[in-house]
Amino acid sequence: MSKLGELRQKQWAGWLPAAVVLLAVFLFPLFREPLDAQMSDAILALAYVVMALGLNIVVGFAGLLDLGYVAFYAFGALTAGWFASDHFTGIGGDSGVDFGVSEFAASLPGLHFNFLLIVIGAIIVCAIAGAIIGLPTLRLRGDYIAIVTLAFGEIIGRFAANGDEIKIGDYAFSNGRESISPIDQLNFPIVGEFDSATNLRPYFWAVFALVLVVLFVNLRLRDSRLGRAWIALREDEVAAASMGVPLVKTKLMAYAVGASFGGISGAFLGVFLNSVNANVFQFGFSIFILAMVILGGLGSIWGVVIGAVLLSYMNSNVIPSLDRGPLSDILTDLGLEFTFTQVSFGIFGFILVLMMVLRPQGLLPERRRQMELTEGIGVGDETIAETRA
Amino acid sequence: MEAASVPEASVRPTGRAATWDFISKWGLIAALVAFPAFYGVSDLINDGNLSRLGNNLVAGLSNGSIWALIALGYTLVYGIIELINFAHGEVFMIGSFVAFGLYGTLGLTTSTGVAGLALGLFVVLILSMLACSSLNVMIERVAYRPLRGAPKLAPLITAVGVSFILQNVGILWLGGSQKGIPDLIQAQRALFEIAGVTVTRADALAIVVTIPLVLLLTTFVTRSRLGKAMRATAQDPEAARLMGINVDTTISLTFLLGGLLAGAAGLMYALYQTQVWFFQGFTAGLIAFTAAVMGGIGNLRGAVLGGVIIGIIQQIADNREPFGPQWTPAVIFAYLVIIMVFRPQGLIGEETREAG
Amino acid sequence: MGIVACGEEEEEGGGGGGTAEGTSLTIYSSLPLQGTSKEQSEAVINGEKLALKQAGNKVGKYTIKYESLDDSTAQNPGTADEAQTADNARQAVQDKSTIFYLGEFNSGGTKISLPILNKAGIPQISPSNTAVGLTTDEPGADPGEPDKYYPAGTRTYARIVPKDTIQGAALATTMQEDGCKTVHIFNDKTTYGAGLARNVEGSAKELGLEVTGNDGTDKNAPNYRSLAQGIDADCFVGSGVTGENYIQAFKDVAAAQPDIKLYGPDGVAEAAFTDPKKGGVPNAIGARTKVTVATLSPEEFAKQGITEAEKFFTDFKAEYSITGQPDPYAIYGYETMKLALDTLEAAGDKANDRKAVVDQLINKTKGRKSVLGTYDIDENGDTTLTDYGLYTIKDGELTFDKVIKAKGG
Repeated sequence: MSKLGELRQKQWAGWLPAAVVLLAVFLFPLFREPLDAQMSDAILALAYVVMALGLNIVVGFAGLLDLGYVAFYAFGALTAGWFASDHFTGIGGDSGVDFGVSEFAASLPGLHFNFLLIVIGAIIVCAIAGAIIGLPTLRLRGDYIAIVTLAFGEIIGRFAANGDEIKIGDYAFSNGRESISPIDQLNFPIVGEFDSATNLRPYFWAVFALVLVVLFVNLRLRDSRLGRAWIALREDEVAAASMGVPLVKTKLMAYAVGASFGGISGAFLGVFLNSVNANVFQFGFSIFILAMVILGGLGSIWGVVIGAVLLSYMNSNVIPSLDRGPLSDILTDLGLEFTFTQVSFGIFGFILVLMMVLRPQGLLPERRRQMELTEGIGVGDETIAETRA
Repeated sequence: MEAASVPEASVRPTGRAATWDFISKWGLIAALVAFPAFYGVSDLINDGNLSRLGNNLVAGLSNGSIWALIALGYTLVYGIIELINFAHGEVFMIGSFVAFGLYGTLGLTTSTGVAGLALGLFVVLILSMLACSSLNVMIERVAYRPLRGAPKLAPLITAVGVSFILQNVGILWLGGSQKGIPDLIQAQRALFEIAGVTVTRADALAIVVTIPLVLLLTTFVTRSRLGKAMRATAQDPEAARLMGINVDTTISLTFLLGGLLAGAAGLMYALYQTQVWFFQGFTAGLIAFTAAVMGGIGNLRGAVLGGVIIGIIQQIADNREPFGPQWTPAVIFAYLVIIMVFRPQGLIGEETREAG
Repeated sequence: MGIVACGEEEEEGGGGGGTAEGTSLTIYSSLPLQGTSKEQSEAVINGEKLALKQAGNKVGKYTIKYESLDDSTAQNPGTADEAQTADNARQAVQDKSTIFYLGEFNSGGTKISLPILNKAGIPQISPSNTAVGLTTDEPGADPGEPDKYYPAGTRTYARIVPKDTIQGAALATTMQEDGCKTVHIFNDKTTYGAGLARNVEGSAKELGLEVTGNDGTDKNAPNYRSLAQGIDADCFVGSGVTGENYIQAFKDVAAAQPDIKLYGPDGVAEAAFTDPKKGGVPNAIGARTKVTVATLSPEEFAKQGITEAEKFFTDFKAEYSITGQPDPYAIYGYETMKLALDTLEAAGDKANDRKAVVDQLINKTKGRKSVLGTYDIDENGDTTLTDYGLYTIKDGELTFDKVIKAKGG
């Protein structure tokens, strides 16, 4: 009895700090104006958390270095663009095909489906895309996987940017560098339609709910059979195979699941930003998300959450405010004529280099890695000399 | 680098592996040749001659030589420490920027006389090469050497980080938009014509600069002592160390050579495109990497071969329906994926290890 | 208070309008301050500031606060970044003292900010948007435009430059007068460039010119030689902005087609394009290029009896110590702000009531005498001015040639 009591206490104690933080985050919008810029940044940060958690599955859990994650952002956003805007005007006549949307959206031409359906659509599209992208990499080794995924990311980016030329009949794949805009607002059964032009709070809570769901799924996955198969794959493929882990299926599942999170987040971002524009589907975005995972700690769920929030804020908040702050004046006094936003790329790259050289396990390392580094368990990492053999 | 001292017979695959090797090699060659062949045939049907294809080939050759120079840098580094030096494309970009900066410093303009131009450009070439080589060596020292013992992921990410830092240097230097630069040699002016195929000044320049550099490099690697040290280190660093080779210096030397070539490529690109941009290194880097892989990563001749092939494919894709310059990167990356999947060792490379 | 067209739930003060609070009103300006547009945007800002200064920073009993926002980002310089534009629009909506929003510069940016500002009922004036679909559904607009930018159902947006149906006609007219028989078009695939290209194509065909192609160009391509080599026409129109790599496009076309005549729209009417010292097209190519901009030269303004323009040029040059002609967009900045201030003045006591100001702007701006000439704002928010200036490039500078009275359009 007493042992059980101990265990129970342990589990609660572990959850308490997380619960407090989550509650604080939930209450955050109530302390800010409905259209506050901080809330816009916060919503972006939470959307990126979902993305980073998805990439974490591929890179962190399964150890497959994916440098083309932007492809899934593209697919998710395009799904929203196809099924929640007037992009496919012409199907279904003047009032289009609608399902589960508000009256206003139903009256517009084109396809309009409820956001929840779009999320499901994004999951399906991205899972398939992820599996297809993962297929060629099955037999490849670390750095080659990176290159192939990068190539795919670029190919998809190209398709999105030139998608206005790819047509079936009158219907184009995307709208290229002119955005697909506007995208239907979020609309849920009981609470009705949101409006990002007047009140961002519902959006915040919506994405927060999304984050909670994704976190839950992640935590369950990590401790599930599949999750352990991924970690086994990452640590030692040969040993995993000999223990009966089905390599192909496990790898493809990693890609598919990771991709679907990217798709969900992409769909949400498409709706929130009210436009789907191929200009944002660049390699830099993949690295942005990868940096979040690395900063937080490869394979560490909470670490990745922190990393995502930190980097997202750095990008949208800290750097621009540095430009307005005293530091910028000091620099001008010294005669250096640049703004911090101009060097955001470089600051980014610097963080990557710094993390890798100084603290490769990330801010909040995964427990296993922590054990490797502190207790020397399972240290079998290859050195350059050994790989030569 | 190719292990030139190991007898060929012991690395030749046998049996089933040999069949696959044969199929994949010729399949890849077929896939590569199909592209120009298809358009050659359609040219014959439409125009009655091959001059359009010929023009594509010539332009492809000169573009390809720029890619070859950059690809050599990738292949040298990969051969010796099995690292994809992501920042190499950006080193090339810095080379272009340095070249443009030197135009101003040396006072080279479109009205400078031929002799002054030739001398001036020669000086710019040497200086860009030196600048890039020092940059490359410095990057290795600062970012890659501390991570020599770490798992592969670490130096790769660091390379990406360095590439971003360099891109930012580019942004600060010349701004975020493309920058037109003076067309010093009137690159597009036709030099002569053979059988309807125009050879422009830029084409001639590319060949004239690239061939000597490549010859110099191969001679150095195959004949000199330092070159031998490089090959030894590529083959087995531990053994090389035991034989008294300073592995650290050798690796730095490799980076130096790669940087020299990138600097030369940078100047040529600046002269050819008459435009520099902080982002040019990214695309160029990926294309050059595709070239290196296509030829066989670690293989010098392969890099040059790959560069030329990619250059030709790029020109054809640029020029023909239904492709166009906006689709060319997609075509090249598609080839990259195909190569990686079906024949990671490239056309003439040796078998590289796969999973594990 | 506000009448809303779609299902909003959480609105406290009503959606389509509101009263700005206090005796201080804010006018926001949103322009791309980074990249190739920097100089042009600064000219617009200087024009706006001059107009405000001349009004003593006051209208009636209200003091006017001016805030300049940047809608470009470091990663996306030279044009409006969508996320940043949305943030700017939201910032203006959040600020209860906002009474006017002067922006965007790029039509693609207005696509994003207009719906947000329209919802909040904030009057908006653009100094430079020319995309047709922002105000009407005439040729050149996409399906669904313009209604999808006005979710509140009423018009709150006006612009002081003619829309691209006019610029397309102006370009076509010029080409016809110059003796072109065949025309090839490049467009930069943005809202502005692609839209204008459609207008040029339509107008050219109406005037009997043959359009041999309308190619979309990719900003990231290092050069456009292959596209340029495929051109088979006497005349070329590069429908794009400088920032989308159009210097390279013009250079390549000029090199590949030594005899072709080159034409550019107002998207390339900036020093970054015309001046080789700033990285623009070389003088040899500039000499072959003609550019259309809706501004006229001081002399032409004087010829047309628009004395206000002369006064503006004098004041502007004095204020900012400029010799030579100011950037063509300086006068647009000035007129944008002047229109805003005069609208507020005409609204009198109701100058802090957004709805009243919108009504004044859209419905009651008639016969307005301004530095651009006399014009109305029609019910769509368009100006009734239709004059376009044709410019040539001499020594790296735009030089006024003549007024184009466009045929059709």
